[in-house]
Amino acid sequence: MNDHFSEHEELLLRSWDAPVSARERDTLAEVIQNNPAIRQQSDQYQKIRTMLLRTEPDSFGPFFAERIMNMIKQRTQQIDYLIFFFFKKYQVLLVGVLVALLVSNMLLTDQLTLKGIFGLEQETTEDVFSIDLYENLIK
Amino acid sequence: MDQPDDEVLIEKSKEGDMAAFKTLVVRHEGQVAGVIRSLLGTTPEAEDVGQEVFIRFYDALNKFRGESKVSTYLVRIAINLSLNELKKRKRTASRYASMEAADGIKGIEETLDLKEHLQYAFDKLDPDFRAVATLRLIEGYSTEETAGILEIPLGTALSRLARAQQKLRLSLTKKLRP
Repeated sequence: MNDHFSEHEELLLRSWDAPVSARERDTLAEVIQNNPAIRQQSDQYQKIRTMLLRTEPDSFGPFFAERIMNMIKQRTQQIDYLIFFFFKKYQVLLVGVLVALLVSNMLLTDQLTLKGIFGLEQETTEDVFSIDLYENLIK
Repeated sequence: MDQPDDEVLIEKSKEGDMAAFKTLVVRHEGQVAGVIRSLLGTTPEAEDVGQEVFIRFYDALNKFRGESKVSTYLVRIAINLSLNELKKRKRTASRYASMEAADGIKGIEETLDLKEHLQYAFDKLDPDFRAVATLRLIEGYSTEETAGILEIPLGTALSRLARAQQKLRLSLTKKLRP
């Protein structure tokens, strides 16, 4: 199968898809008139182009736009749901950590007071007394 | 009643107006369907790719600056996704695969009428040639627009176009004889 372009075939095809000079146009007209092989090629190409060119608009069928809108809506809902659960997971984790800290503080201080649970140091009588002594010494 | 133009619909869509986006889908479905079905045939994948085109467009609305027309932008996505699909499946003539298996390529060419044979030969084209031929010869874009959509030089578009047409003509020579 010969798939090389002749000079005239190349010009013929280019003339339909790109601007050609006046001289090229004259040459082509002359060749088509005098060369039956090129004339036949021209007819064949034109037939192919006519058959290929779309004459009616295409479509994906009825309710295509509705299907798209439903997909977008469903996807948005899905994303909202994922975001909610993503943060919910961390919320639960955070609460768990807080409870664990509170329990550990309670066990360490061995006190069932709010200060003990929240890890706030309580001053003992000795602490207060030693501070007073220190202050007196400075004076 | 006059429909608002694409720019207005895009702005409304960006603000969350779903009816405006739906109008855009309805308006451009034909062009997108034409391009995809020329490349993939009337297959279930063609509609999947069509849906993907509009979903991607929706996702990219805020990035859309209006530097190209909406139709050009959509057709470009459609072409790229269709070419990806073709590479993925690598069955360029799937709609004739069973006939080829039964009759062989020569046999099938003889049984098809001219229009079917043209479709068959078109499906056999290399995807890059097919993309150019789809835009220029089927959808009727200018050669400059075709090159622009495919982001290739004009000379490359012209050369692929010429080569595609020659392959089609050579495949159909017998049937095209008067």
